[in-house]
Amino acid sequence: MSVTASGSVSGSSGPAARHYRRFAGPSTYLFLLPAVALFVVFIAYPIVWVLGESLFSEDRGGANTFVGLDTYLSVLADPVFWIVVRNMTVWALITIPVQMIIGGTVAYFIERHTDAWRGFFRTMFFLPVVTSVSVISLVWVQIYAPYYGIAQEYLGLFGIEMASSPIGDPSTAIYALIIVNIWQWTGFSMLMYVAGIANLPTEVLDAARVDGARGLRLAWSVIVPMLTPVTKSLLMLGIIGTLQTFPIVQLMTGGGPNHASEVFGTYVFRTSFVLGDTGRGATISVIVLLLALVLSIVQIIYLGADLSPSGRKREDA
Amino acid sequence: MRRRPAVSRIVIHAALFLLLAIWMIPEVYMLSIGLRTPAQAFDATLFVWPLTFDNFVTVIRDNPLTSFFLNSLIVTLSTVALVVAFSSLFAFACAVLNLRGSLTLYATLLTTLMVPLASLVLPLAILLKTFGWVNTYAGLIFPYAALGVPFAVVVLKAFMEDSPKELFEAARVDGCNAWQTYWHVALPLVRPALVFVGIWQFITTWNEFFLALIILTRDEVKTLTIVPMQYSGLYMANPGALFAVLTLIALPLILLYVVVQRAFVRGLLAGAVKG
Repeated sequence: MSVTASGSVSGSSGPAARHYRRFAGPSTYLFLLPAVALFVVFIAYPIVWVLGESLFSEDRGGANTFVGLDTYLSVLADPVFWIVVRNMTVWALITIPVQMIIGGTVAYFIERHTDAWRGFFRTMFFLPVVTSVSVISLVWVQIYAPYYGIAQEYLGLFGIEMASSPIGDPSTAIYALIIVNIWQWTGFSMLMYVAGIANLPTEVLDAARVDGARGLRLAWSVIVPMLTPVTKSLLMLGIIGTLQTFPIVQLMTGGGPNHASEVFGTYVFRTSFVLGDTGRGATISVIVLLLALVLSIVQIIYLGADLSPSGRKREDA
Repeated sequence: MRRRPAVSRIVIHAALFLLLAIWMIPEVYMLSIGLRTPAQAFDATLFVWPLTFDNFVTVIRDNPLTSFFLNSLIVTLSTVALVVAFSSLFAFACAVLNLRGSLTLYATLLTTLMVPLASLVLPLAILLKTFGWVNTYAGLIFPYAALGVPFAVVVLKAFMEDSPKELFEAARVDGCNAWQTYWHVALPLVRPALVFVGIWQFITTWNEFFLALIILTRDEVKTLTIVPMQYSGLYMANPGALFAVLTLIALPLILLYVVVQRAFVRGLLAGAVKG
């Protein structure tokens, strides 16, 4: 019955593929239609729209005039834009490795050294990820608050004096927000590494152990390299996540004080919806888009395309 | 030599519990302030005594929290349903039917994964205004589904490709058409993946903030995620009430996750099997 298909693994070529095509007919294209329709209306069209809109400027009368790349030049000349670029760079450079290291270490000890408590630890460290970010932001404002927040109280016990709220000080605001991001998302890195570690082939680990690799040496020279696909996924998701950053900043500092913690999200939001400058908002949107595109291409070239949650290799992507 | 592993186990467990205790401080702090009397609300300590449920009683009585909760539930469940349905159909067409052109469409769809929402909010806001979808559930459901489908397709397509091809072949030989094969063979086969994708979509949709902030301005349609900030103004002088509200807003998803985490992790682990 299944003779023809049983030998074929790929399904995209060979006799098997021909057989599945027998399902085909005009109606089978309806399988693709809903997803494609959503993509066209809510992703592709908006992108085309911002591309066009970024080349126009609306005057007070509401008439659009073609201004070419003028808006781009004006955005690039805006000092706030460069604060945003600096903040996003700092954000990615700190959050991604720190979340990986803490999450990976916790995952390693949970998976390799616990049994009865494994499920408990996995769940608890992940809870910040499922706690509403708008709630988290307000809780951290309270933690950081001068006089009645617990941060100044407990850090004082270690000799660290906090005269004011770190989110109110331009030199520390972005770092205070980064700590919140790390707190929220480390559990995500942890769970990804948990999946990676749980699926490591036992034979390889046993072989390494026979060769004398134990404890931390086993972890560093065998397990870490074998988790590279997960690490690559986390890097990719971390960069996209950085460009997505919005609620924590919007709710805790609004991008302030004096733009010190401005990120792309708050910059787009302020320009488009607070100041109502559509042309400029569209231009910033396009710049973010291009940045995401370039970073993705660079990663795909250097690291290969790993987009799955578990870091699985996809040859066909 | 024999005792060392036991000692190291205790040390590792102690270290994990210590780190977890530190990690849980914000969650505990939230609950702790919500349970305080007005007199202690501004104490700079993690724990106070005695505790009171008065704040919870007050905020539940005075606010339409149930209505915000229902709005979140309607938007989230609709989005999850659309994402699971549309992505499984698409993945089936790519992985099983091998429709001509489906892989090109797949690659195109994947570019969505690299699009930051920050660059889409402005055009989406204007598009939704044109549709007359400002302050409607649909104004969130369809964009959320569009943003969620690509990731779900990646996961489901991989699962379907890993399923034994013989089953699909057998279904065809037995006279099933494509739709019957999808419904009776493919969907049951990838159930763990559907559950995983559904739970992840639920979490991200429930907590999405940016688009909700822009599209929802009327209280009748607001979702839970955008109401905390209005309460921070309302209860500025009464942190006990504010944090009772915050706890109530965060609680449903936390409880849900605790209930479904086993199935969620199972799906995640299954997806990585063939690493």
